[in-house]
Formats: sequence, C-alpha cells, structure tokens
Amino acid sequence: MTRVAENVVEVRNLNVTFKGEEGSIYAVTDVSFDLAEGETLALLGESGSGKSVTLKSLMRLHPPHKTTITGQVRVAGQEVLSMDAATLADMRGKLVSMVFQEPMLAFDPVFTIGDQIAEAVIRHEGCSYEAARNRALEMMERVRIPSARKRLDAYSHEMSGGMRQRAMIALALSCRPKVLLADEPTTALDATVQIQVLLLLKELQKELGMSILFVTHDVGVAIEVANKTAVMYGGRIIEQGPIDQVLTDPWHPYTQGLLAATVYPGMDRQERLVAIPGSPPRLYRPIRECAFAPRCSYATEACKQPLPPPMVSEGRMVHCIRAKDPAVLAAIR
Amino acid sequence: MTALLEVEGLKKYYPVGKTLRGKPVQVVKAVENVSFAVERGKTLGIVGESGCGKSTTARLLMHLIPPDSGRIAIDGQEFGEGRRPVNELRRRMQMVFQDSYASLNPRLTIEDSIAFGPRINGASESQSRRKARDLLARVGLDPDHFIRRYPHELSGGQRQRVNIARALAIEPEIVILDEAVSALDKSVQAQVLNLLADLKAEFHLTYLFISHDLNVVQYVSDEVLVMYLGQVVESGPVEKLYANPAHPYTRALLSALPAQRPSERKTHIVLQGDPPNPISPPAGCRFHPRCPVAEAVCGQVEPPLSDVGSGRFVACHMRIPGSGYSNVQPLEVAV
Repeated sequence: MTRVAENVVEVRNLNVTFKGEEGSIYAVTDVSFDLAEGETLALLGESGSGKSVTLKSLMRLHPPHKTTITGQVRVAGQEVLSMDAATLADMRGKLVSMVFQEPMLAFDPVFTIGDQIAEAVIRHEGCSYEAARNRALEMMERVRIPSARKRLDAYSHEMSGGMRQRAMIALALSCRPKVLLADEPTTALDATVQIQVLLLLKELQKELGMSILFVTHDVGVAIEVANKTAVMYGGRIIEQGPIDQVLTDPWHPYTQGLLAATVYPGMDRQERLVAIPGSPPRLYRPIRECAFAPRCSYATEACKQPLPPPMVSEGRMVHCIRAKDPAVLAAIR
Repeated sequence: MTALLEVEGLKKYYPVGKTLRGKPVQVVKAVENVSFAVERGKTLGIVGESGCGKSTTARLLMHLIPPDSGRIAIDGQEFGEGRRPVNELRRRMQMVFQDSYASLNPRLTIEDSIAFGPRINGASESQSRRKARDLLARVGLDPDHFIRRYPHELSGGQRQRVNIARALAIEPEIVILDEAVSALDKSVQAQVLNLLADLKAEFHLTYLFISHDLNVVQYVSDEVLVMYLGQVVESGPVEKLYANPAHPYTRALLSALPAQRPSERKTHIVLQGDPPNPISPPAGCRFHPRCPVAEAVCGQVEPPLSDVGSGRFVACHMRIPGSGYSNVQPLEVAV
C-alpha cells in the first residue's frame, strides 16, 4: 500500500469463551488484527478454528448470557465491547453490517425483500418510507438483480440462491456501512454463481469504499477477494500478512500443511496429497501452548510449553517458535 | 475390452402437483437419457452444479430410486425389473454418501454397522466381526479403540472412514462416492482421498466419483462426465477435457474456479444467472439461455451427445458439423 490508510477496525487480544453444558469452550484466544479503509482481510481456517466467532465479535452477535468476551474491538474509533444496547443497535447495519452463508435463513420469510431493506434504511436514517423504498430499489439495481423493481415485492423463497445472496448484499450495504462482515457468503452457491458474487463484492467495494472482513475455508476464494489474510487454527491467528506473501511463502507449518493438502488445478494424479495427520483440537480447555503441535512434523519439546508472543517481521506475523528456524524453512520450501 | 459398468438411456421424471384428475401439472426432468460406461479399475468423475442430476443418477444406479427407464449392466448382466435382482446389484456396487452422520445408524456400534452387510449376505457372526475389525484397521482406525463406539463419538473424517469400510465389507467391485469428501475440512479431505486411492489399488475397485469440486474430480478421475440440468453435456478423458473443454458450459465451469495460488490469478468467464429450475427446462439446448455463444438454432433444436473423436463426446451445436450453427468449430482447432 502506498498511502497510510487509517484503520477502520482494530482488534486487540480478543478472547471469546462460551458456557456449554459440558464446561466452557474457548473459541477464540488472543486474536489481534487491523483492517484499513478499503482493505479486505480474509480470515482463513477450517471448521472450529474460531473464524466466524471472531467475525461476530465485531457486532457482538453472540448469545450474551453464554458468552464472555474480553479484549478490545474498535470499529471506526468506537469501542464495541463496552457499548450499551442502544448504541450497539445503532451501529449494527449502519457502521458494520453482515452477509451470512445462508441468505434463506437471514431474511424474514413473511416480509418482502424491498420492505426489509427499507426497514433498515428507515431505522438508521429516519427517512420516509418512499425514500427508503427508492434506496432499496437503487441497491437492488446496484447488485444487478434483474427486473429489480418487480423483485422489490418478492419474498425470499421466490428467489434463487444466487439472487437471494445478491439481495442480502443489497440489504447489508443499504446504509453504506464502513465495514462489511462476510461469513462464507458464497459457500452455499454453485461455482458459476459463486464467481458472480465474488466479483460483485469486489466491484461494490471499489464503488462504495468499504472495508471487508471475509471469513472462508476456501484458499481460492480468499485469493480472489482479499489483499490480506489471517490464518486461524484452534482459536488463534497463527499467521497473518499480505495474502500473496502468506500463501506463496507460508511461514507457519499449518499454513504450509493446509496448502499442501489442497488439490490444485492440474495436479498430477500420481502425486500424493500431503495430508496433515490427526484432527483439529477440541477447545474444552484454554490452550496456552501451540494448538497445532500434536499434528506438526516439526514440533519439539519446547512446542508443548506456553507460546511466547508472536514473531513480527517484514509486515507479517507468525505464531510459531520454529517458524524462522532454518531447518524448518528449508523443509517447507 | 468391454466395460464393467454400462449405463444406457437412464431416465427419471418427477411429477409436480396434480390436477383433480390426478394428472401431473408439471414434470421435473431430473435425469434424462444419461449413458456412460466405466472400465474395470478406472474412475469416472461426474461433475455439475446443484440440481444437475448427478446424485439422482447415483441413486438410480443403486436402485435406491427406481428409474423410469434405462439399462444398467455390470459385466454385461442387466439388473432391475424383469432382470437380475437388485440385491445382487447392490452386492457388486456400493455407495458412500456425503453426510457421514446421517448414513450411519446412530443406535448401532461401528462394528455392528460394518458387520451388518456381510452377515446379511450369509457370512457367520464371527466372520462378519473379523471382517469389521480388519476393515477398520485398513481404513486407518484402530479396531480396539473404535469397534464399540457409536457414530456420534467420532469426528466427520472418522465417520467417513467407517462409511468407506462399511461399503467395502461385502467386497463390491464398484463404489459410488457421492460427494464423499465434500463435507470434510481440507486437511482431513486429503487423508481420505489418499485412503481412497490406496483402497482402489488394493481391492481392484472401480469408482464413480461424484462431486461439485472440479479440482478434486480432476485429481481422482480417468474419465469425466459433465452434467447440466439432468443431461450429459460433455464427457471424455480427464486430461483432454480439462485442457480443452468442448462445451461452453464446461469451459465456463472450469473458468469460474478461483485460483489456488496467488500467482495463478486469472480473469473468469462469468455466466449470467443461476442454473435454471429443472421444472420446464429451456427448449432446445438446455444451456442456451446462459450460453455466451448461443445462436437461434440452440433455442430450437436439442443437440445430441455426439462423438467428436479421441474418446470425447459433446452435446453442442457448435461442435457438430451440419447442425445449423453458423460457425461450427471442430474440436481439434478449438482453443
């Protein structure tokens, strides 16, 4: 980046714990990251890595009675974790809004799409119903829903999956938020529709200038939309930096393992996939040591000790005591 | 060499709604005129988007859904109504499903689930149990640790290994893998893909690999079948089909894939719209409303799946000489 952009999002030492029936679940541990204006950060990880929980913390969407959140979450200078209910409600949809994986569940089935978008506009801008409907129409056209005027009066079940996701984006962007949270928004879509939605998001970002925090498990999708990435494992960010660097030259053994385990186009069939043995950790206790160590082929005795603070260099961060070890780097490359 | 599995003209229509006289109002043409052959020891990949009929095809093959018409033959022997019994078909062909949890009986232990098939096919109690232990070990699960467990105690990857072991328990020749690795995380998916490759070699299996993940299909398949709205639009050897897709739909589908490496970012061919509803599909070529190179003939005449040489078949007027398309491009010169 040539200019120094202002950070729209600053997250510091975020910890999220859920109270479950069988004890606590330590879903997110010591997560810190920044998101500058106009940037897209991909939170990349497998199921249970804490990426969606991290995302939802920016709007405090967790069930309040079961959740303990500590740390700092600052969006456009406002501290989210200490906000009262009224301020939080003002912020949701206005300053930060969200696109979900399953738009069928995100829309209310008994109201038309147009009215749901208008409701959000009226709530945040206090304008008339007519003005809000006009905004809804403008947004539906902007996300290129065919015959948008007619579809203002459609219900969500009358639309196809791709169209519903476009409508969801129209709703999320109707009040011009500074930050868009996208939680696997294309995972449920077919390949030919997924690429339409990804390109649309990129285009809208250019037009409207918002920052995007994009949660995905798909390396390819992350490469398509993001300029930075944070790779999560066992509730922590284990590596982050510019996406091209992180995914071309991974420092953390998990990032490297994830890439090696993914089938890429044109891969030779004689070539064996390098699978990561074992399975991801269960988060029923706070994990102070490296959560990946039990599956890591470079792990030593020292990896079972509590993790020291992450290593930061060349605009990148990696949370692994062996990351810069010449022996490990040689093996990874 | 004759094919191990031959399928010809497989068809399934579903009526939707009924008039007062009991006639269907509309018809979903879920699978229409699907034909293919798989040689012993090979893997046929079937790709397509949701609603294209790939899973219905799998279920029709297993007779989990009775086909309206069509011929299914293993080693030249035909199965189905009036032919050899379906039980025998299922002894020779087994299936692994996407949802690893829903496909195991929650009240049976892992051992009971795997031993069920052999027992019902005449093996003794002790033989069946021994078989279950052997197979568990073979799919990478320690029998002593897992044999008395229930499905809910296992992770998704472990459950899918159990499903594979169960499918293999009656020693089938053909295994249908219907999105069998799609629900697994990448690091676990790689383990299961490696396992499938090992088992194929060890037990001389023939696979039907159904998936929406084009990269994985390319990696595992010898031949590929591309489906769109219930029909086969293209088939052929995997390398040729991926290197030079003949059908505009295949080309768009491959182009829509995001690059897996930052250095391979590309421009995509972006199709308009979603795959249409299989209720009352478009006339002529079913792809023509979304096709970037469609002409008038494409909306009128349905292109037949035609032999275009080198083991490749395509249903597109653009590739069929004399079809009425203005600029027919034989496959060899196509870029």
